[in-house]
Amino acid sequence: MSAVSSVPLPRPASLAMAALGPVAIGAILAARVSHLSPLVTTPAIVFGVFATTSPALYIATATTGQAPALGAMMRAFGAAIGAFGIVLAGLVLPAAFLSLTSTAATTTFAVTSLALVAAAVLALWRLSAELALKGATTWWVYLVWSVATLGIAGRLWWDLAAEVIS
Amino acid sequence: MIAVDAMSPPTVESPRLVDQLLRDRPAMIARIQRGTELAAIMRTMCLTIAIAMAIVGAALGSYRGGIQVAFAAIKLPLVLLGTAALSAPALSAIGTALGRRSRVAVDLALVMSALAFGSLLLAACTPLVMLGRAMEMPYHRMILLVVFMFAAAGVASLRMIVRALAAEAAPGWRTSVVGLCTVFALVGGQLAWSLRPYLVRPRAQDIVFVHDIEGSLLDSIETVIDSAQGNYSRSEAPL
Repeated sequence: MSAVSSVPLPRPASLAMAALGPVAIGAILAARVSHLSPLVTTPAIVFGVFATTSPALYIATATTGQAPALGAMMRAFGAAIGAFGIVLAGLVLPAAFLSLTSTAATTTFAVTSLALVAAAVLALWRLSAELALKGATTWWVYLVWSVATLGIAGRLWWDLAAEVIS
Repeated sequence: MIAVDAMSPPTVESPRLVDQLLRDRPAMIARIQRGTELAAIMRTMCLTIAIAMAIVGAALGSYRGGIQVAFAAIKLPLVLLGTAALSAPALSAIGTALGRRSRVAVDLALVMSALAFGSLLLAACTPLVMLGRAMEMPYHRMILLVVFMFAAAGVASLRMIVRALAAEAAPGWRTSVVGLCTVFALVGGQLAWSLRPYLVRPRAQDIVFVHDIEGSLLDSIETVIDSAQGNYSRSEAPL
């Protein structure tokens, strides 16, 4: 079930952006701290957390009886990942500029975190629109899943930044 | 009308576009949304921003005079054009992610037109700067006057963007505007900060084109407000 008002994302391009976006954000942090690990760890956090938590959303919404068909669910996840990539594509240049013109590593951490959080929140928004969630229980399930997913990814990102900046 | 090559020189259409931008912004927005004259619109707006901001920069530089007039006239257009180039893709990206039709060129033309409008308003305010200079207005009050002018022009530019996106009524347009404003404020503030100074004390001896990268923009705003109220953190003003 897709939200009828939404225009479909250009799938191959948006997925390519989703693949490259976290690498670019990792590269901004890596350039600041002269440490290569964010280049690999950032996409690993993004896709690892998404891959491990997305089945939980399907199981939980299916249990409430409101889950769309598996195919529609997969398409919705694809659209959300695409939305994540497109938002990051729009924010990578400003983030890189703000990082390069600052003197503090904490500024780099702040702007890269802001870009990732904005992309993640908008991707979750798009996912909810694609899933066309119905009923308070389903919304609660979605909210809890979103908070858990953002929380896990946020904690891992924080640990990575603390390690490379210190 | 067929879109022309972006590299071709401005035509007689350019003054009409600027006139329409000043007199009839809804018609200008409709013209942009049709997407058939984007190259001409982009070229005209780019030129308008460059000229208008050079005038504003020269007026700010005249507070100190000398080479600072040229320095500020060169840097201020770079700030606005650079910020537009770095920030406009965020509008398209956020909108597209939320289900809006992806139209990067239209969005860029819209942002450039809105900034051109703001630049023209700022250029219209330059007599106030010149009056401040003529009346030997104190440095920190002059800074606050300039901040007020830029804030007013910014609000006017933003209003044009909001009006255009509201008319489109696409999903997520409000979020796109908030995203654009956030990115624009951060990037614009930092770029302007990086290329400072524009307004220099009249008694300053050594003029630099740009300062080294130091401190943060927010720290500096706090210091200026304190200084305007007579609370100085240094024993004497820097020259």
